Amino acid sequence: MELLHVNIPNWSDLATHWRPEVMLVGTFLLALLGDLVVRGRRPAVPFTVALVGLTMAGICAVRKLGVEGGTVMGDLVVVDGLAAFFRILFIFTGLATVLFAWTSEEIMGKKRENKGEFFALTVLLTLAACVMAEARDLLMLFLSMEAVGIVSYVMAGYMRGSLRSTEASLKYVIFGAVSSAIMLYGLSLLYGMTGSMQFEGIRAGLQTGDVNAFGLLVAVVLVMAGMSYKIAAVPFHYWAPDVYEGAPTPVSALFSVGPKAAGFALMIRFFYTTLAAGPDANASAGLIAQINWPLLMAVISAATMTYGNLVALRQANVKRMLAYSSIAHVGYLLMGFVLLTDAGLQAILFYLLVYTFMNLGAFFFVVAVNNHLKSEHLDDWVGLGFRMPWAASLMIIFLGSLTGIPPFAGFAAKLYLFTAVMDRQWFWLVIVAGLNSVISLYYYFKVAKAMFLMSPPEGADMSPLKLHWLQYTVLGVLAIPTLALGLFFGRFKGLADRAIEMMTTGL
Amino acid sequence: MTADLIFVLLALLTLVPAVWVAFSRNIVHAGFSLLLTLLGVAGLYAYLGADFVAVTQVMVYVGGVLVLILFTVMMTRVPQNGRPRHGLDRFVPAAVFALGVFGLLYKTITAVEWAASEGAVEPTTAEIGTNFITSYIFPFEYVSLVLLAAMIGAAILIRERRPEETEEPAAPAPETEEEVAS
Repeated sequence: MELLHVNIPNWSDLATHWRPEVMLVGTFLLALLGDLVVRGRRPAVPFTVALVGLTMAGICAVRKLGVEGGTVMGDLVVVDGLAAFFRILFIFTGLATVLFAWTSEEIMGKKRENKGEFFALTVLLTLAACVMAEARDLLMLFLSMEAVGIVSYVMAGYMRGSLRSTEASLKYVIFGAVSSAIMLYGLSLLYGMTGSMQFEGIRAGLQTGDVNAFGLLVAVVLVMAGMSYKIAAVPFHYWAPDVYEGAPTPVSALFSVGPKAAGFALMIRFFYTTLAAGPDANASAGLIAQINWPLLMAVISAATMTYGNLVALRQANVKRMLAYSSIAHVGYLLMGFVLLTDAGLQAILFYLLVYTFMNLGAFFFVVAVNNHLKSEHLDDWVGLGFRMPWAASLMIIFLGSLTGIPPFAGFAAKLYLFTAVMDRQWFWLVIVAGLNSVISLYYYFKVAKAMFLMSPPEGADMSPLKLHWLQYTVLGVLAIPTLALGLFFGRFKGLADRAIEMMTTGL
Repeated sequence: MTADLIFVLLALLTLVPAVWVAFSRNIVHAGFSLLLTLLGVAGLYAYLGADFVAVTQVMVYVGGVLVLILFTVMMTRVPQNGRPRHGLDRFVPAAVFALGVFGLLYKTITAVEWAASEGAVEPTTAEIGTNFITSYIFPFEYVSLVLLAAMIGAAILIRERRPEETEEPAAPAPETEEEVAS
């Protein structure tokens, strides 16, 4: 009987390990259906469904934190510490985006269409990002990246009347297709070398077999190229400024955090599993050293942060400046990858946690301003600190944290990253990163200066601007951890540490 | 011997039209030569015993994607201001890059000891079907979500504006509203 030794899928996994994601699938479908049935000027039904669904999924995901995970329906997807950590991050990002999009003129303005679908797609992007953090098989790796990609392409081109938005979508699609093709080639080489699609199988194949170092290097570089695109690292960053600038601002906020963090989650799992191979440092040293992984990553990291910061200096458009700044932050994050050690990966996770709050906050402030001024140009922001003092003060917190100055969370996050790299004697990289932080101080505070210190020209409109109460709430909720994590980081750093520990011991 | 001959023929069927695709100045000719290349690739799949993939290749690429490409060519306008340039300044960097990539891949392919698959060549379709509902059911179901997303996306991006959603009565160029505003 053929069927006897066949792997029968276990549907109950969906209810145990995968419950938050199942909720997200349900939310997505309900939001779509609700949008079909009830049509109005403002899509209250999809918004409410997305809000409730994401909240419930978030609560469920938080309660699952620390619970023993497992594979879901076969061996291709795993919910472990890493996935549990990241899915909370993604669901939070999705929730914040949904709330802020509801108040954004760019999404909800009178002339906009397909307002309901926006919320359904945000939920779907959240789900796709979760799956990306859970994939542990080449097939799911590719599929999850494409899922995030397809949803992103649509969301980037959301403002259909706008040329900039359409251009953003088109650029995203073309760059995405090319980098997917490059990555697929690398994946096929890896499969050909090891005969396995599973990350662990690839590791086993690489360790036992006589691996050709040159072939492995080519394969790793090709795969890295595809993933660099997803996280917008140099030299695959070209799409990022145009896409972030052209897409509706709430979508840019989502892009700069969600898919990027998902890319990092995937990279952590993939490269750690295949190359670093668990706590046994001696077994892993061979593979990493053979292809000189540390130098490769250190060069990419230094190039990314330097490029992002230097170009950000010259930007007069705040949204575009934030796009380059998010490229620079990818550079900092990649520092944690240089040695694929536990300390480095834990620092990445903590940095991503902090980065989520501060970067979402900064982008959302741009949304709030854009609603009133219809401009992201720094010249138009002069005197803004007196027209919306509360929100502008919160923006100072986000900018300070992005720079990484002491009382804010960004400082603690950078400190962990720098020490993790310093521990392994990569001094030049730390020096480059330190110089970069100084450069970034200049352009972040150019915004602060424009808002608070520069006097507006004669006859400028100085009437106070009022924000939607939801906007105050979300900005406030984002500002609290941006401050608190800088003072009480121990507990949350512990979360990141446990996530990596649970992944590494699970091997 | 016969097997080698078949391989060489299939490789020629793939490569010769591929060269034509790359160098032809006429985009319709390029499209039609792509037909032969894709068929050649399908032949190579069949030659390697991947019967299901070969059939899929014919159905999806030859039957679907290629028709789509030709439709796209038919419906897009030729750029009015000048033809694309074909000078040496374009050709040389492209050729150097292409040869570099070829060299890299050639060295990789010859240097690596590939994991060979064991066992005789068997029909794969039934096994693929079984796998789809057992070990690989997760990606199989997940793909349906991805496709749904793609469908919604296509609908959003190409749907015609409804009259009640456009504020101004049929402006001459609604595409530029944002540009004018900014």
